[in-house]
Order: sequence, then structure tokens, then C-alpha cells
Amino acid sequence: MRPEIQEYPFDWMLHKSMHIAFDSLKGSKKEYQYMLNYMPYFKGLMDLLGKYDEPGILFVELVKDAVDEIMFAHDQGKKICMTTFCFSPIVLLAMDVVPVVMEPLTVLPTILWKRGTYDFMNFCIEAGLSETSCSSQRGALGAYLAGLCEPVDFIIFDSGGVCDTNANVFAFSASYLNKPIFQLDYPASFLDERTREYQRKDFRELIAFLESQTGKKLDQDRLRKGLEETHKQDLLLSQIDEYQMLKPNPLPPIFNLFMYAGRFLATSTPGYTRLLESMCRTVKNNADQGKSGLQSGKEKCRALFCYIDHYSSDARMWNFLDDTGISHLGSILSRFFPDHAPYLQNEDINSGYHIQLNTLDDMIDSLTEINARSPMVKSIRGPYDTPYMWLEDALAFARLYQADCIIYSGTPGCRNTWGMVKPFARDTEKHGFPTHIMYSDAFDERVESFETTALRLAEFFRVRQLI
Amino acid sequence: MDLIKQAAFELQNESISAWKQNDHPVVGYTCSQVPLELFYAGGILPVRLRGVGIHGLDIADAYYGPFICSFPKAILQSMAEKKLKHLDGAVIADGCDSMRRMDECWRRASKDYPHMALPFFHYMNIPRKISDHSRDWFVDEIKQLQTALNAHFKVSITLEQIQKAIQLYNESRKLIEKIEDLRKFNPPKITGSDAFCVSLAAESMAPETFQKQAAAVYEQFSSNPAEIADGPRILISGSAYDDIHLIQTIEASGANVVGENVCFGPSHRANLVSEKHPPLEALMEHYLLTCPCPRMFGRFDYRIALLKENIRNVKANGVVLQNIRFCDLHASENGLLERELEKEGIPCIRLEREYGSQTDTGRLRMRMDAFLERISQ
Repeated sequence: MRPEIQEYPFDWMLHKSMHIAFDSLKGSKKEYQYMLNYMPYFKGLMDLLGKYDEPGILFVELVKDAVDEIMFAHDQGKKICMTTFCFSPIVLLAMDVVPVVMEPLTVLPTILWKRGTYDFMNFCIEAGLSETSCSSQRGALGAYLAGLCEPVDFIIFDSGGVCDTNANVFAFSASYLNKPIFQLDYPASFLDERTREYQRKDFRELIAFLESQTGKKLDQDRLRKGLEETHKQDLLLSQIDEYQMLKPNPLPPIFNLFMYAGRFLATSTPGYTRLLESMCRTVKNNADQGKSGLQSGKEKCRALFCYIDHYSSDARMWNFLDDTGISHLGSILSRFFPDHAPYLQNEDINSGYHIQLNTLDDMIDSLTEINARSPMVKSIRGPYDTPYMWLEDALAFARLYQADCIIYSGTPGCRNTWGMVKPFARDTEKHGFPTHIMYSDAFDERVESFETTALRLAEFFRVRQLI
Repeated sequence: MDLIKQAAFELQNESISAWKQNDHPVVGYTCSQVPLELFYAGGILPVRLRGVGIHGLDIADAYYGPFICSFPKAILQSMAEKKLKHLDGAVIADGCDSMRRMDECWRRASKDYPHMALPFFHYMNIPRKISDHSRDWFVDEIKQLQTALNAHFKVSITLEQIQKAIQLYNESRKLIEKIEDLRKFNPPKITGSDAFCVSLAAESMAPETFQKQAAAVYEQFSSNPAEIADGPRILISGSAYDDIHLIQTIEASGANVVGENVCFGPSHRANLVSEKHPPLEALMEHYLLTCPCPRMFGRFDYRIALLKENIRNVKANGVVLQNIRFCDLHASENGLLERELEKEGIPCIRLEREYGSQTDTGRLRMRMDAFLERISQ
């Protein structure tokens, strides 16, 4: 790693970036316009956030607060846990543990900084991680491996049995940093009692691990409060999900990012609830006027992102969708499967979790069930064409949300989906959904420049006569 | 040695043909965590699925994406090229993401290439951690496989038969270990490529035939050692590896390959399956608890201890940490192993390669020459 990079702690830089972004957005229009001159590399992102006033500001505030929590966790006597986006951090927050979620912490600098996270990604290779491993963690992870962050106290991941490259990164980090580690392991099956029992036992072991690491017992009251807040957030997410089914879709494309990044970084916190409430108001307002969430107000095509989104620098993908008239119908990241979600009205995918608050056991079971439906954990744990898995979900979503096409965006590091995305795409095509496989890396533009990615997408929309 | 070499270099061999002549079924399996004793107990010959001898991946590439390890692709291609016609069934274990997706790719390919469809096709779900509930799960998986085999092949696998199969395969393991001991001499009494052929053959032959052949190999080399010059002693570790050519390339550079720490072989030789414990428990203990693959997350300490023990046993002067491209589990583990081993003064080289291909020979030879130069100083 270049010496000058090592001079600046990663989390401190992110903390400063988020504070500046927040202060800029909170300023007057004139102040904001003036500030844009000083941010040539993320003007597009700032404009994108600024467009939506309150939700944009609340999102930046949520991220700012999450980064602050990490920065000052140890000062406040809290433990820090490195974890992954598909692990629901409700239990961590209930135990006063601050989650450091690798994927959102990779995304933020990727869209915010001129050089993205390339230096940190490269450092992972210097440290010994394979260059073909998933880039979604490597951006932030490099900084942690290089000691450029507030050190983590332990590591938890839940991708065993779900995604090897994800799980491998955390196992590697535990050995490299010499930190205690716990993994939740998932069978390829989903709803049968044997699988659920396995998950229940696994989750209880996780709680024992957390109690041993923190020296505290799981606080029932805090957990109940966290789950209640999560339930409130789930209801709001369900409302947004329902609005998204309308034609035109009243949801601005970037709101998808707000939905899941908020969930990954700040689930069960009041900040996330405020963000969702504000998003609901904007979306409802659009829906009442019969307006699309796109800036142009004109929806030319409805695209379901069947896997993840694309995080080019300056958030250009979101602006590309906005400019091209492509409505974003959500991705694997933005749906969490609470039992009241509108998409679960479809019998094919009715497999939601129900939050129960009566006893501690009930609450732990609820956490187990929530976690078992986290992005990736639910839909790619088993063969893609078996019940409740990826194909069934994607087709049901595509139908319910009246998608015109399906887009696969991922990373070359995703061994799991690249192992079957070709037959998957053939199946979705057979069901009448034009499907585009993006060969770019969602987190690393060095693999394919955004210009090329955008050209290929545009070609797909044109050739398939979607716009 | 001819039959052993045939089994090591070719997917089809005389032992399999002889087995099939008696109308006994053959089932392929993908991963060293699949308990082969169970098949044999039902009169079914288990053979490890491999992809040696193919000349392209065009068909496999139509199903798998580009960023996937070439090992499962090669197996799929072999099947498409009708090189695995002896199979009556296959068990796909979720050894790693690339390997477990063979389940879907194979099923989909079978629709386009009907000869690929096998009457018996089973998915085995193996935990990636060790805990009380994962032990129970693994035992359940064995039982499910047992039920599936019983139903499809119309057999009735009993615990007594499994016990006998455990004893039989343990004999194979002991024989392999005896042959491995010949590599501990300086210079070794058997070349690395010949010794590794024996390990490979064990997973591609009927155990009785294998034992007869392996015993002859042992007799031959213990009484009449191969003429091997002194040279640096190399141990190979890392990804699934059944390509004798890599060993031959290293040995052609003047080194002696004295051991392997890879998943081809260890299921036969690393530990014996307990003959005292109840058979299903014993299989679980062997195949789950002693698995040396980094797919078992959080077990790095166990694996590095195992590797260090192997290095000591064979008195290796250097370690080749190889991985197939896109095998992140081994590639990343190799990074950690290199750091730890070099710290202890054990020279290592990390090699990334493609499965089974000889296109890499020149590059690998050049890198090995440089490594041998380093450790010879």
C-alpha cells in the first residue's frame, strides 16, 4: 500500500466525508451549490442525494451516525464486531456491540472517493487473500487488515453454506488478525423442520459466543425493543414494496439503496425508521400523483435486479437508470421476507418470518428466522431451481412487479451465482423475461469501466426493444 | 503398476470394467467428504469424479460462468464427452460453491445432452462447521444417502455391511500409508508420481483389486527401490489435485516430491475410520471432523498443524502451495500458510494453475526452477 494512504485512517476519512456531505446537504441551496464546486468527483452522488431532500439527508445522517458509532465504540466501552451484510445485526445492537459491516463500508467509499477503494482492495492481496475473492468485502477489509481502522474485537459471519467467498474472507480475517470468530452455517434446504432446528441450535450457540465475548447476558428488554422497532420498519418496507408494484413505479431508483444500506447499517435504530417514514411520504406523494419516481417522471422500462446493484464511482448507475427512464424494481438486497410483505401474498414464495416477542426463546427464534431470510442466505443457499430459491423468487418478483426485464449484476468473485447464472438466465428468458448478465464488477470498475457497463446495458435495452 | 497407472491417468479402467461385468453399479462422487464405505456396503463401487484427459471446456462453459474453477467444469465436460459412461449414478456434495453448482449445471446439461442424465442423482449437504448439531446433521445425511441408495439400487445396506466396508477401506488406507513410508527415505524409494498414482487409483478401483495391486507396488519398491537422485524434498499442498503432470514437472526439475496434502488421497490414508465406534458415528468422525479442506471454516489452526506434521514426517525442504484459479478457499488459505510457514523458515511457493491442463507446464517449470534454486542455496 502506498505510504501516503497509510497516513490516513480509513474510518476517519469516511467519518469526515460523511460529515462534510451531511453539512453540505443541510446547508442552504446557495451554500450547497457553492460546495459542489469543491466536490468534482462525487458531484453526481451529492446531486442524487440532494434531489430527494429529506430522505437523502436522512440517509446521509444514518450513515454518518453508523460510522461515528464505529469510530467511538471503544471510547464508549462497546465491543466492535466485523460482520457481513447478510447477517442481521439486531442481536449485536441488543448486546451493545457495534457492527462493522464490510460490504456497505466498501460501497460507500467506492461511490464517494475518486480512487474508490482500490488501494485497500489491493492490500488484501498483499496480505494473502486471493485476487479472485469477492470485491464486496475487500474494499473495507483491506483497511482493517492494514490496521487503518478502529480494531475489531471479534468476527461473526453467516455465509457458511451460503457463499464460500464471503465466508472465506471472514475466516481469513480471523486468522490474519488473530480474532475470535463465529459462523452461522446454513443447510441448502430451507423450510423443513430439520433445517429450522439446525438453525435454531446454531443461533443459540451464537448468543453464547456473544455473551462470552462481551461478558454480558443478552438483554431481553433491549432485544424486545430492537425487534419492535424492526417490526415497525418491516411494515414501512412493506408499504414501499407495495408502492413499487404500481405502474409507473413511484420509487426513485436510489431509494432501493437507502432501503437495504439502512437495514444493513442501522436496522432497529430510530434513524432507520425516520428514513423509511420519510421515503414512504415521498413515494406516496408520487403515487398519489400517478408519477414515476424517476426524475423525468416517465417510466420507459421496468427492470428487476435479480442479484445486487452496481456501485460505480459517483453512483453513476443510479443516475444512468434515472436518465434512461429505467425503473428499478428492487434486488435480492432490498427484500427481507417478513410475513406481511406484499410479495408474500404470492403462494409460490410465501415463506416469511413472524416476529414474536412473548419470551426470550420466542425472540431468539424470531432472530433465527429473520437471519435465515437475509439476502443471499435465503435464496442462494440451495440449488437455484428448487422451491423457495433464487429462480422461484426472481420469477415471482418479476411477475408481481410487472418487470419488463431482469438484470444480473454481481462480482466475478461470486462463485455461487456464476456457478449457475447461465442456466438461471435461460430459465428466466424461457418465462418471457429478457435477461441481461452484467460481466462487470459491482464494486471494482477496474474490471470493466462504467462507460462499458452502461453501453452494454443500453445495447441490451435497445436490442431487446425495451425502450 | 500398470493397472494402478491406468486408474490414475484414465477415467475408465479395467477394475471398473470388471466390476461392471458382474452387473454391479458404479456411482461417482465429487468430494472427499462423501463416505465411500456406504456405497461399497451396498455392493456399489464408489469412484471419485475427475476430469482428466479432456481437451477443452466448451460444453461445460455453456452452463458454468467464466469465473469458476476448472475442476468441476472438467468433470461436466468429461460427462458430456461420454468419458464417464460407466456411471450409474452420481452424488454431488456441496464441497464448495463451484462444485455444488454442478448439481444444477449437470441437470440442465442432461436436458441438452440426454446421455448425461443418470438414473441416480443425489445431493449431499455437508455442514461447514463442527458442533453437536452439525455432527447430528452429517449422520442424518449419511442415513438419507443410505435410504436413497437402498431405494434406487434395491439393496439393503446394513450396519454390519458398513462395518465390513470400513474394515476393507482401512486396509487400503494402511497400504497407502506403507507406500507413503517409502517416500520418507532419502532419496525416496519411490518417485512422487508413482506414489501419488497409488493414492489416486484407490479412489478409482474396486478395493480388493486395488489392494492386490498396491501390495505388489509396495513389494516392488521396498525390495527394489527406484533409482532416484538426491534432491530437494517437496511437499504439495492446496486445491483438489489429481494431475500427475505437475509432480512430473517438479521432479523433472531435479526435486523429489515426497508428499501431498491435498484432498485426493487423505480420505484414504490420513486417519483410519474407527472400527470400534458405531459405524455411522465412525464415518461422521472421519469425514466431518478430520476434513482437511478450508471449506470447514474456522479450522485453520487444525489444518496448519496437520500440514506442519506432514512436513516434519516427510522431511520436506519446501512446500508448493498450489490452487486452481478461482479456488478462493485454498488460494486464501495458501496466503496464510505461506506467512506462517515462512516465519518458521519453511520455504514456500504459491502456484496458481488450471485443472488438469498441461498448457501451464512451461510457466510452472520456470517458477519451480527458481524456487528450487532458492531452497538449494
